[in-house]
Amino acid sequence: MEYVLKNGIVYDPANKVAGEKKDVMFKDGKIVDSVSADAKVLDVTDKIVMPAGIDPHAHVAGPKLVVGRIYRPEDSRKGVTHKTDVTRSESGFSIPSCPSTGYRYSRMGYGTVVEAAVPPLEAKHTHEEINSIPNLDIVPLSLFGNNWFVLQYAKQNQIEDLAAFVAAWLKIAKCYGVKIVNPCGSEAWGWGMNVHGLDDPAPYWDVTGREVVTALAKANEMLGMPHSVHVHPNDLGHPGNYPTTVSTMDALKDIEKNSTVRGQTMHLTHAQFHAYGGTSWRDADSGADHIADYVNKNDHITIDVGQVTLDETTTMTADAPMEFDLYKLSGLKWANKDVELETAAGIVPVIYSGKAPVNSLQWAIGLELFLKVNDPWKVCLTTDHPNAGPFIRYPRIISWLMSNERRQEMMDNREVHPWSHRRTSLASLEREYDFNEIATITRAGPAKIYGFQDRGALTPGYNADIAVFDINPNDIDPSRNPEAIEKGFSTAMYTIKDGEILVKDGDIVKVVKSQTLWTNVKGMEEQEKAVMERVMPDFTRYYTVKFENYQVHDKYLPNPIVTEVQAGK
Amino acid sequence: MANYEPPVTDYDSIVENCTCAFCGCNCDDLDYLIKDGHVVGVRHACRLGASKIMEDMDQRLMVPMIRGEDGELAETDWDTALDKAAELIAGAIRPIFYGWSETSIETMHHGLELGELVGAVLDNQATICHGPSLQAVQNAGYPISTLGEVKNRADMCLYTGSNAMNSHPRHMARYSTFPRGYFRPRGRFDRTVVTLDPKYSDTAKMSDIWVGFEQNGDYEFYNAIRAVLKGKKLQKEFISGIPKEDVEELAEAMKNVQFGALFFGLGLTHTLSKQRNIDIAIQMVADLNSYTKWILMPMRGHFNVNGFNIFMAFETGFPYGVDFARGYQRYMNGETNTIDLLTRKECDVFMVIAADPGAHYPGGAIKHLAEIPVIQVDIHWGPSTEIADVVLPGSFVGVEVGGTSYRMDGVPIWMKKAIDKPESCRDDEWIIKELLERVKKIKAEQGALASK
Amino acid sequence: MTYVDKPAIPKVVKFDEPNAKLRNKLDVMLNTGSDIYQGACKKRGSTLKDEYRKVAGVAYMDPKDMAKLGVSNWDHVKVISDWGEVVVNAAHSRDAPHEGTIFIPKGPWANVVVSPETYCCCDPTYKGIMCTVEKTDDDVLLMADLMRAVYKKYVKDEEGIKDLATLGEMPVYKKL
Repeated sequence: MEYVLKNGIVYDPANKVAGEKKDVMFKDGKIVDSVSADAKVLDVTDKIVMPAGIDPHAHVAGPKLVVGRIYRPEDSRKGVTHKTDVTRSESGFSIPSCPSTGYRYSRMGYGTVVEAAVPPLEAKHTHEEINSIPNLDIVPLSLFGNNWFVLQYAKQNQIEDLAAFVAAWLKIAKCYGVKIVNPCGSEAWGWGMNVHGLDDPAPYWDVTGREVVTALAKANEMLGMPHSVHVHPNDLGHPGNYPTTVSTMDALKDIEKNSTVRGQTMHLTHAQFHAYGGTSWRDADSGADHIADYVNKNDHITIDVGQVTLDETTTMTADAPMEFDLYKLSGLKWANKDVELETAAGIVPVIYSGKAPVNSLQWAIGLELFLKVNDPWKVCLTTDHPNAGPFIRYPRIISWLMSNERRQEMMDNREVHPWSHRRTSLASLEREYDFNEIATITRAGPAKIYGFQDRGALTPGYNADIAVFDINPNDIDPSRNPEAIEKGFSTAMYTIKDGEILVKDGDIVKVVKSQTLWTNVKGMEEQEKAVMERVMPDFTRYYTVKFENYQVHDKYLPNPIVTEVQAGK
Repeated sequence: MANYEPPVTDYDSIVENCTCAFCGCNCDDLDYLIKDGHVVGVRHACRLGASKIMEDMDQRLMVPMIRGEDGELAETDWDTALDKAAELIAGAIRPIFYGWSETSIETMHHGLELGELVGAVLDNQATICHGPSLQAVQNAGYPISTLGEVKNRADMCLYTGSNAMNSHPRHMARYSTFPRGYFRPRGRFDRTVVTLDPKYSDTAKMSDIWVGFEQNGDYEFYNAIRAVLKGKKLQKEFISGIPKEDVEELAEAMKNVQFGALFFGLGLTHTLSKQRNIDIAIQMVADLNSYTKWILMPMRGHFNVNGFNIFMAFETGFPYGVDFARGYQRYMNGETNTIDLLTRKECDVFMVIAADPGAHYPGGAIKHLAEIPVIQVDIHWGPSTEIADVVLPGSFVGVEVGGTSYRMDGVPIWMKKAIDKPESCRDDEWIIKELLERVKKIKAEQGALASK
Repeated sequence: MTYVDKPAIPKVVKFDEPNAKLRNKLDVMLNTGSDIYQGACKKRGSTLKDEYRKVAGVAYMDPKDMAKLGVSNWDHVKVISDWGEVVVNAAHSRDAPHEGTIFIPKGPWANVVVSPETYCCCDPTYKGIMCTVEKTDDDVLLMADLMRAVYKKYVKDEEGIKDLATLGEMPVYKKL
């Protein structure tokens, strides 16, 4: 089937198309240069046309999510809708059910979402949920930062063995890349402790976060992974944590990049939570300057923000000790889920309120990061869904980024607490994003960061993943019309995935199965085999499942998209 | 005890690393000894697991049956039985699909689709077991871990209202008390085992400390421990029948371990205070985490009872007792749950799959099942068969057919197939899918009629 | 078979218990729950058999209570609660002492006397049921007979249930 999207205003940053009126054509699921006269014409005159959105960091599937859904029926009750002829009934606000997750991303013009934390032991669970999320391609990242085998390799600085281990474990868990969460801290949580900073060793293992992050980054480059290490540094959410964040970035400064498809060697995730100054919540202030400065001056780093949206939400992270701290602060019900030999996880509901000084400060710091990082290719739009807010708020964040007037108004009329401007420089930042920059931080940038070669741009041969929004960019002043911007980006006029129209005028018109991206490393088979042989006795002794039953069988990925990389090249 | 029996040596082949289809321990290290397509021996399993796997073929449901006018079950062919069941389901106003905890997630997918189509209530055994635990989790939180954390780290294992030696016989051996863990190289000798139970149960007999507080004394006892943890002086000499000095000593011991694990069972959920018992236990564990590391875990009974809760939560947002009557999901404890719907006599067609309400519901609820059509999908002739009107023989997950299940701690396990099923039986997944197709067809015909 | 046909129980009912005063009826608290014999038999699928009656149609009692009632192992007792009455075997509890409490493993016999009341929290009250126990000469019914006698789903003449032939220990259905 051939289609032409006619007369749209196209924003395709990867191809340096910034607001040109032109046609976009696709055929049999791929973008093409030309189509025959039989092609079906979709008239999108003066509407925004972009590649489909890519969310570089969210929590949408897996054991943590399900604990959240089981223990927060009050959240599930919030988003309940009646089933339609096309869709099943929906539920949830901050932790929507799997079908709801797919529908809602799809309505916002998204096509790809990264699930940022998969414990290998429970990877089957994550994949089961991915299969229940319709209309999206999901990119799972596997947790390595507190894995006992990784801790040992890092301590002994055995990078090649570590690389082989990572390659083998990605095959076992069927994941796309390497995620590190509070390295050594989640292991310390096994004893109810945490580590403080990059150089505080994990109890017993006597290895530091610095050693773990460095070793994994080196291994990642040795394998030539499509994505860099994806790092959630130590001390998340603690006042005065920005030096830890800066030193984590700096620790990886000299690691040589081994990839042509991406620019960075470290992706710093939900940077907002890692950009606090001060010594306690009493005197906390913004550390965004330090983070943004570092990112502006160094090319080995990219970040996503984790913008606070001022909603009631559910926080969930593999940084379990932080969640316990949060529980002690808020007293709201605490869930925890430690995973043997691998990681931990914590979950606590949070009510981010514009009336609360701390939440307002967090809100402002996130915006500061967006506005202070000069190169939009280095920063991505996320809320660390659902941690800082649900993903359905992305359009609202876009409206804030495009309107200084709106930001000032929120501070002036006290929609946010005065800490938002007294303790940050937000009030002095006049920068406003344009549509091309929005397309960069939600599409082209994430695609580049993940080394995607098939999406995130409207290049011929790429997947026909396209979003059309009912906004005329030549006729709207986003600065003055934040509501119209939010509304326009909330409900796509068309969402097209692999050439199929899934959303029309904001409604789901078709439901398709999700696909799962994972990375298959080749060229280290011998080393992998050797590592597996060495690992196996400990595996048998200390895990509670048999290796045969630990692996994710192909059955759990009915629609895989495999990225094959040649190690070392 | 029975006489000693020599080990089974007469077998053709061994299938290793099979997963036990009994309790929530989902032990995945079983070896099945196969002869002539039957399991003739099971290695590593406990008494419960082995007895289930080496089933009683006398009572295996082999053929589909429909109950006739004379009140007797009569064998029939698959088409007739499935059509009859589909007709009942399609014509129902308030159907309940109950069970699911002894079948695979793959089967549940079709069941949920069918439930959404006809507006059924989907519920599982949690409703009569750990339902109150899930409510307590919703009230107070859910600090758990996988069982390997307990094996590798725990130096105190506390069983409360749970007789693991009887209902989860390998739990202590494989996960909590006896195994040698990374930080507990001497296994049992590196751990203190405590049982809190009014009954001097078989688990209590194996423990270092047994606290036999009074029946229904759970809430008061945990509350007292919390008070001690918060530095309060106990005002009463005896707490639930236990001297206050002992309570203080236990609280102190719990504070001073490195890693504690509390396992709770139906002793908490089935007594009068129900979910409140667990509320306070959860809060006690949260309090203990201010001093040291503690986790807790419900001792889930069936191998996939947790799986159904997980599956329903990720598909619909709610763990069990999900009502689709209005075209969207509703979940309200005490309202949309099976026992309440039955005692209120709301349900008009009841389908039970991989469960035995005849054996496990209170009589007051079964009385309503005696008044409505019951469809049974199961592998054995049981008490539910005595009140079933349509019987569809399924197959044995983890032995005759593969499937996904979730252990009590949420670890997903692929349970592989070891032998073929009896020829006349069908896989649960196939049966439910067939029902779905047939009900869809009936609905489409009804729709066509209505539009004329 | 690897499985005993009935649970192993001690034979130490002391009729000469000095404090025991023979009574016709005892007020006790009933607990139900899983038990390894019941579990093994149920999940093996042998629910029609006499074995199941032995492992689930049984009230485990404190020996002192048994002495008060004048029953020994495998004598029959009638348990009566607000929700029904059922005849089960009496047996010496492995977990004694627990004077004043009896335990019936979960199953069709226990179901007759437990409370379906969920107090609006989905789970019936299976434990802590107040009931009475008395000695009886009535038989403990096999599972199929019990289901028929209690729920009467397919019985046309309810008065005549007592006279019906037993359904036995094997499945009863019409073959093609």
